[in-house]
Amino acid sequence: MLSFSRPAARSILMRRLLAALILMLLSWPAAAKDELVIGISQFPANFNPLIESMLAKSYVLAFAQRPITVYDAKWQLVCLLCETLPTLENGLAKREGKGMAVTYTLRADARWADGKPVGSADVVFAWQVGRHPQSGVASAEAFRRITWIDVKDARTFTVHVDRQTFDYNAFGDLGPLPAHVERARFEPAPGEYRNRTAYDQDTTNPGLYNGPYRIAQVVQGSHVVLERNAYWAGAKPAFARIVIKVIENTASLEANLLSGGIDMIAGELGLPLEPTLAFEKRHGGRFSVITRPSLAYEHIDLNLGSPVLADVRVRRALLLALDRDAMTRQLFDGREPVANSMVPQLDWVHADDIPKYAFDTAKAAALLDEAGWKPGPGGIRVNARGERLALDLVTTAGNRSRELVAQVLQAQWRKAGVELKVKTEPPRVLFGETVTRRKFAHMAMFAWYSAPENVPRSTLHSAMIPAAANNWSGENYSGYANPAMDALIDAVETELDRPRRKALWREIQALYAADLPALPLYFKADGFILPRELKGLEPTGHQDPTPYWVENWRWE
Amino acid sequence: MRAGATILILLALAMALAPLLLPDPEALDLSVRFAPPALLHPLGTDELGRDLAARLLAGGRVSLAVAAATALLAAIIGTVIGLVAGYRGGFTDAALMRLTDGVMALPLLPLLIVLAAADPAKLGLGAEVLNSEGFAIARLALIIAAVGWTTVARLVRASALTVRSRDYVRAAVAVGATPGRIMIRHILPNVASPIVVATTLSIGNIILIESALSFLGLGIRPPMASWGNMLTGAMDVVWSAPALAVWPGGAILLAVLAFNLLGDGLQRRLDPRGGQTSQKAGG
Amino acid sequence: MGVTILSRLLQSLAVLVAMSFVVYGLMGLMPGDPIDLMIAGNPHLNAADAVRLKALYGLDRPWTERWLRWLAQVGQGELGYSRLHARPVMAAMIPALVNTAILMASSLLLALVVALPLGILASLRPGSVLDRLVNLVSVASVSLPVFWLGLMLIVVFAVELAWLPAGGMAEVTGGGRLAHMILPVATLALSGIGQYARHMRAAMIAEAGHDYIRTARAKGCSPARVVIRHQLRNALIPVTTIVALEVGGLFSGALITETVFAWPGMGRLIYEAVMGNDFNLALSGLLLATAMTLVGSILADIAYVRLDPRVRTP
Repeated sequence: MLSFSRPAARSILMRRLLAALILMLLSWPAAAKDELVIGISQFPANFNPLIESMLAKSYVLAFAQRPITVYDAKWQLVCLLCETLPTLENGLAKREGKGMAVTYTLRADARWADGKPVGSADVVFAWQVGRHPQSGVASAEAFRRITWIDVKDARTFTVHVDRQTFDYNAFGDLGPLPAHVERARFEPAPGEYRNRTAYDQDTTNPGLYNGPYRIAQVVQGSHVVLERNAYWAGAKPAFARIVIKVIENTASLEANLLSGGIDMIAGELGLPLEPTLAFEKRHGGRFSVITRPSLAYEHIDLNLGSPVLADVRVRRALLLALDRDAMTRQLFDGREPVANSMVPQLDWVHADDIPKYAFDTAKAAALLDEAGWKPGPGGIRVNARGERLALDLVTTAGNRSRELVAQVLQAQWRKAGVELKVKTEPPRVLFGETVTRRKFAHMAMFAWYSAPENVPRSTLHSAMIPAAANNWSGENYSGYANPAMDALIDAVETELDRPRRKALWREIQALYAADLPALPLYFKADGFILPRELKGLEPTGHQDPTPYWVENWRWE
Repeated sequence: MRAGATILILLALAMALAPLLLPDPEALDLSVRFAPPALLHPLGTDELGRDLAARLLAGGRVSLAVAAATALLAAIIGTVIGLVAGYRGGFTDAALMRLTDGVMALPLLPLLIVLAAADPAKLGLGAEVLNSEGFAIARLALIIAAVGWTTVARLVRASALTVRSRDYVRAAVAVGATPGRIMIRHILPNVASPIVVATTLSIGNIILIESALSFLGLGIRPPMASWGNMLTGAMDVVWSAPALAVWPGGAILLAVLAFNLLGDGLQRRLDPRGGQTSQKAGG
Repeated sequence: MGVTILSRLLQSLAVLVAMSFVVYGLMGLMPGDPIDLMIAGNPHLNAADAVRLKALYGLDRPWTERWLRWLAQVGQGELGYSRLHARPVMAAMIPALVNTAILMASSLLLALVVALPLGILASLRPGSVLDRLVNLVSVASVSLPVFWLGLMLIVVFAVELAWLPAGGMAEVTGGGRLAHMILPVATLALSGIGQYARHMRAAMIAEAGHDYIRTARAKGCSPARVVIRHQLRNALIPVTTIVALEVGGLFSGALITETVFAWPGMGRLIYEAVMGNDFNLALSGLLLATAMTLVGSILADIAYVRLDPRVRTP
């Protein structure tokens, strides 16, 4: 009887069951995918976020550690751990004599993965460690600027800095350190802290991490396993576990992706662009490949101390003689946009109305003639004294695309009557000695990695020319000294008004393009190779890696 | 042996004739990157549109120059040390042989890495010398020879020990010949065969070491081509352009094989009782 | 015998100290420093940071002074901290050592299992087709660039056929260890096979020429018995010593295989330590590898004396 009396109910039940089953079947692959394996090409040797800085470590920690502020994929400064971004407008930042006072309130729901709240004490502790001269912290500059931190309550504090700069509210380096775990390891012997830190002695201690994931296992040289932070209050990340596998050889990295050993290759530390493009051509159907230009500025520093390059006409002619459009089109499928200055198009201070140097051999020849370099024997130009226009270029060894570009430069300049001798050096030689001590004869080709709206003080200010007298500090390897540029740099740093700052930035870029202390080539692109099912990963193109938004990643 | 000699002669011929028949190995053309084999480019082109065959032969010249220079240098160092140790005997012999043992015990590849990464500029050489092509070859040769002379030294010492007591050497000593003269005139000719055999066998190994160092970015550096760095460069694009990796790999295999076969043959002819001298650079 | 071993050990110690001096000096000659490099990669770092960090790690002192201090420290049994890994050197080294030992033992075993029978077979009929074939194969196998071989194996077995994983030591769950070992072990073994087969063949042929073999034959022993009981037993002696000599070198020599197959072993550890100016770790690793070779050669000598009756009774 019962079955008769309720046929409708039964069929509804059946239908619901069926629907649930279908839904389950449809969503089954997603549900089953609770582990994402990411391939990167470098192993993080250690894990303390303050000590030593290396890309692999930043990448892995970005899953597990949240800084107070970061730049997002639109290159805007946003809060990760704080509630509101302090600005002059909202009153949370104030001028204070020559310096500023900036007040942050940490999110109420921020927790270390052992359940302890993330609080002001953790920020003050990070500052204590950071400014201690013996703690081994890599970048102490951000900490030195801070004169004092006022703790208002458990999660509100005011930072007093000694200067007024437009990036007053960017608090990237000063991520909180878990005082409840690390204080006992730091205070007894600060000089030993780098060897005692729990990040390396007890890496899987959940109390060390406040992100959506925590490090659950480290197999030295092989992989790092991340598991969900049980106390994470934000959106629940899609994967129960994320495994970061390290495969240093790029050909092997690609093989692992094809054979299913890894699901994706991170763009931050993955394949060079060229293999990525070749991969896209062959397997574009199985994977989605994202190439996005970054702010890594590929350029050639010119040694302005050499008589040849001291002449701005020669510098301009060199750039005019390069067909950079054809180069990026043919070598990089046009994915790396040609640069006109050091500021990328994506940066809001980028200016377009500045001098540009489109490929023009006639103009280049005219400029070289004017500068006294006339066509000579063998097609190489010579000056009145009979010296050949022969230049040396040094670049990093082991960087395939740079080695190729160097050879293309050689061929293109040769057509303009300039002889180029290319030499490659391992990065540690190039950056440890050749450019940092200004030992390159004429040209050095490499890239600058910077932050959005990065003031070029260290690279263009005349006080930043490395020399024995200033203990080789500064990165103005060209030896560029122009009082107008110095004044603009000083002005832009402290200009808090955005429209006025943008105008100053335009002047900087125009002056740079006119003077050409370096030859701009292009902005490099990172190649992300992702499974088609993975959605929500948005490359940033700057130093803050994508895993800061891992909770947006979905498997569909 | 005949096969080895034939291969080497053909290789040498090809390298000698390459500039006449093939395009310039440096001439690049970005519009024909990764071109398949055609009449103009018998093996196709590489990632900058350069002729692969021409690059292969140009790279071979560098690789073989490094190998030959290294083998020669190692043979000279080894011969001198072996001769002195074997002829002098006593304390000199003991000291030199302990040195040889010590060098043999050193882990080859890591040591080569340390040597290759050291900065020659700190030795006070001029920039002109440092940037020259010959220097790159000489530097690599010196580095590999510095750890590769031990085999020859031991062989020469053993031979010198036996030759030393022969009558004609004693006779030469009796008529007042200087030790140097005795070593060169009387002992050296008798140890020549094992030296030739060991040196030939070592060349193949040196080619492999050069390619291994290039793989780690410490060998011959671009833009100069060598088989090692061509292979290394091709690894990045091995999936899309496997020919770029197959050819230099094949060339290395062929050349090393030829030297090993030649060495084996020479060993059978000249020094049938000689020990095994080939050693592997390690993986 | 005891005295000989003692003096060999003392000599080995001298070699180790001399070697540490040379390596320290060479690393000192390496230009630049990772701390300088950090500046190039991090916009927030400046030259003052580099100076401070170098002083902190003692990298601003002359290398001779640092070497002496290091030697004194090691003399007290203290290997110190690895700068790169921020851990005691031993803690950083032991996992890599274990991984390398696994790789080495398996590939050595595989190489011997294949090579010795091949060498013996080839030696039975010198000059035969089989002998020539074995010879060609073994010459070819030592003529291959290892990284090329490794990559070709990956292309075929991991990507095209998808039978085996392309790299790493195991699944993250710890499973599939065996499958992960096959390609790197095969790569390393392949170059060993050629070598050992040649040695085995040469030793067998050398033994065949001795009088006692002819005597045994004349006494009417079966050919199989002659080969196994007499010829093989004696021919194994030189082969054993060669293997013992090789084992030490293997500990640091698999760098390239390790790189291609993402195998976290000693070769990579040492390489990274050298490139990263991690003096403590680099020296400890290199010295360990050298010590292994030295011990291997002492063992080879002992084995030689023990196994060869002609040497034991002078």
